[in-house]
Amino acid sequence: MDFDFTEDQNMLRDLAREFLTEQVSVAHIREMMEDETGYDKDLYRRFLGLGLIPFPEEYGGAGFGMVESCIIMEEMGRIPYPGPFFGTVILAGQAIIQSGDENAMSRYLPDMANGDLVVSLAFLEDSASWTPATITATATKDGNGYKLNGTKRFVPWGAQADVLLVAARTGEASGPDGISLFAVQANSDGVEATPETMLDLNSRTATVKFSDASAELIGEEGNAWAGLDRAIQRAAVAASAEMLGAARRAHEMSVDYAKVRRQFGQVIGQFQAIKHKLAEMLEQVENAHSAAYYAAWALDADAPDATLAASVAKSTANEASRHVCGEAIQVHGGIGFTWEYDLHFYWKRAKHQEVFYGDSDYHRERVLQEVLAGNVAR
Amino acid sequence: MDLRYSQEDIEFRQKVRAWFEENLPKKKIESFEERREWHRKLYDAGFIGMGWPKEYGGQEARPMEQAIVGEEMARVNAPAGVNGLGISIVGPTLIHHGTDAQKDEHLKKLLTGEEIWCQLYSEPNSGSDLASLQCRADIDGDNFIINGQKIWTSGAHNSEWGLMLARTDRRASKHNGISCIMVKMDDPGVEVRPLKQISGSSEFSEVFFSDVAVPADNLIGELNTGWRIAQTTLSYERGGNTLSRVSRLQTTLDRLLEVAGELRVDGTRAIDDPRIRQKIGQIYSEVEVLRYASLRLLSKLEKGERPGPEASVSKLHYSELDKRAQEIIQEILGPYGQQISGAGEYAFDESDVPYGEADTWAYQFVWSRAGTIYAGSSQIQKNIIGERVLGLPKEIRADRIELEERRKEEAAADD
Repeated sequence: MDFDFTEDQNMLRDLAREFLTEQVSVAHIREMMEDETGYDKDLYRRFLGLGLIPFPEEYGGAGFGMVESCIIMEEMGRIPYPGPFFGTVILAGQAIIQSGDENAMSRYLPDMANGDLVVSLAFLEDSASWTPATITATATKDGNGYKLNGTKRFVPWGAQADVLLVAARTGEASGPDGISLFAVQANSDGVEATPETMLDLNSRTATVKFSDASAELIGEEGNAWAGLDRAIQRAAVAASAEMLGAARRAHEMSVDYAKVRRQFGQVIGQFQAIKHKLAEMLEQVENAHSAAYYAAWALDADAPDATLAASVAKSTANEASRHVCGEAIQVHGGIGFTWEYDLHFYWKRAKHQEVFYGDSDYHRERVLQEVLAGNVAR
Repeated sequence: MDLRYSQEDIEFRQKVRAWFEENLPKKKIESFEERREWHRKLYDAGFIGMGWPKEYGGQEARPMEQAIVGEEMARVNAPAGVNGLGISIVGPTLIHHGTDAQKDEHLKKLLTGEEIWCQLYSEPNSGSDLASLQCRADIDGDNFIINGQKIWTSGAHNSEWGLMLARTDRRASKHNGISCIMVKMDDPGVEVRPLKQISGSSEFSEVFFSDVAVPADNLIGELNTGWRIAQTTLSYERGGNTLSRVSRLQTTLDRLLEVAGELRVDGTRAIDDPRIRQKIGQIYSEVEVLRYASLRLLSKLEKGERPGPEASVSKLHYSELDKRAQEIIQEILGPYGQQISGAGEYAFDESDVPYGEADTWAYQFVWSRAGTIYAGSSQIQKNIIGERVLGLPKEIRADRIELEERRKEEAAADD
């Protein structure tokens, strides 16, 4: 029983932190908010150049598991990094890996690992829910390929992606059966991406409309759900780590501020009203840490409670980061509400990730399903 | 990171589980003497004072082994032994600060349950502000003469001995005038009056001392160092065995799921109601997080790291979580949650709890209010976290201002 990180994992964290804190300045984050593309391609390539890629080694990755993915995402949450690392490497990467389709892996992963390809997963539709019933986009056979129709919502970096992975129906059923995964070249005919502006200006999304777009099947027709579910679970855990990073950073800033901000002739951290708030926030941050890394380990170890743990992690991180980042603004008072102060970055990143890959209601329901099915650690 | 149990731990767990399957009392424990017998059995099996040095009758067991025993006991709802505070507080105090004679006299008896101990710390006007205590021990020849009152003394009526904090120097600042003294509970002048709690039962007592003569040899450590001694052992009370709490909560949730599968709400089973599903999913998640956090703490203990002030995060977490969980359980069960008797098919269980009361939903609910008060209230834990973990400055307090002023006056008088 060892809950500590290995020496290699600590080195990985140091490497990621060093690069991100040195290269991704506050000025850069602010510049990217106004930028049309929303991220610096060169910087993105240089980060990938560090080799911290959680893909299998034969596809240009470092063979990392979920624990390593979470370490990287936690560090990104502390910045918070503006760019398509999560969307491409975690979300789309896992969608391809979990499909089990080796042709797709060798075709896409190496180029995703070196930054040549930005790939995203187009999953959500109007209902913005993560259950199979949400999928109504359709794909029909057309010669050697497929023609895809439908509208996908909130596609991460959907307007910047070179390739879109699309979940669509190839059968009549409305449940998990009959869902297939496709790759669509973003610049092909019948693909129309409309970028949207979200609360977190550094997390770009797009509505993507497919009208008879040419699509290439990944994995087996009609059998994509199980792999997609595994990929979304992993994205949920990695997002939990990103939210953890944002919450921990917001908490650190609040503690630092409470030690210097003076009111009524003393620093505000001396008042129990603030001190106790900061203590409660620490408890929540530590709980989010325990939950995110337990889940990451459980997924890597294929533990019987891995799905349960993933849902516990996401609902815990959702609540913790929302509360901690929000209370951080409260501790700062008026200054925390200004655009110039950096605190709102973390609050907004946490809020962004909270609603994707399952909100708390979704995951609490899933926890209960897993418990009733007996998929627990005992 | 590797959160698997080692082969050694798995085998140990199997042995422990088998022992409890074979030895768990078949009938409910009624009297204190029966509980003492059960305790002796637990001791002989090596499950009491597991972390203690072998020379004092312990096992020098690893934290993981202790956690496994705690978990397995909770899993089968095994009755607790006796002398909980004696073993968790008094024993370590004697091991660290006692004389050889004190150790020889008490440690073994304390472990076997032959000598039951209580903790005479809190006073009516000294709860969270324990160091302000007023019960006095005045030196008179070879004796201390003790006068004053203690309160919230768990198990005082069954105890042979009490570990007392008393004021031995009234002029010193409040932390520096306290001593740690062993007191015999049947000495003349000691009066125990049980307190009735909101649960309706009486585990706690008030204890009154009127000119009680205690041999000076009963002092633990140096005179006037009692506060420091108490600090080293209070942290034993915090953050230690949270895995057994997790087990108990899991047992509670298992039963809740059974009841929710039978109880019908507006024509459907409670377990099919989305509102109730959300609530159960919520508590279950929180209990899982407590389990992960406990494993994290345990992994540190296994490496010989002492949790220190971080243990306050754990104490705050489990005690506040227990309150939230019990509130939600009450919401789900409605009036069934409040039945003290006659609960029938929706009852929690009629099995044993440490003090021999029936373990009902209502009983658990009532007791959840105690956890955030005893062993350092949640507010005290938040002060500790704020000041000793986060490094925030200590608050300005009236007693500190007074002390400062007194020191200034004394310095001025000296000049």
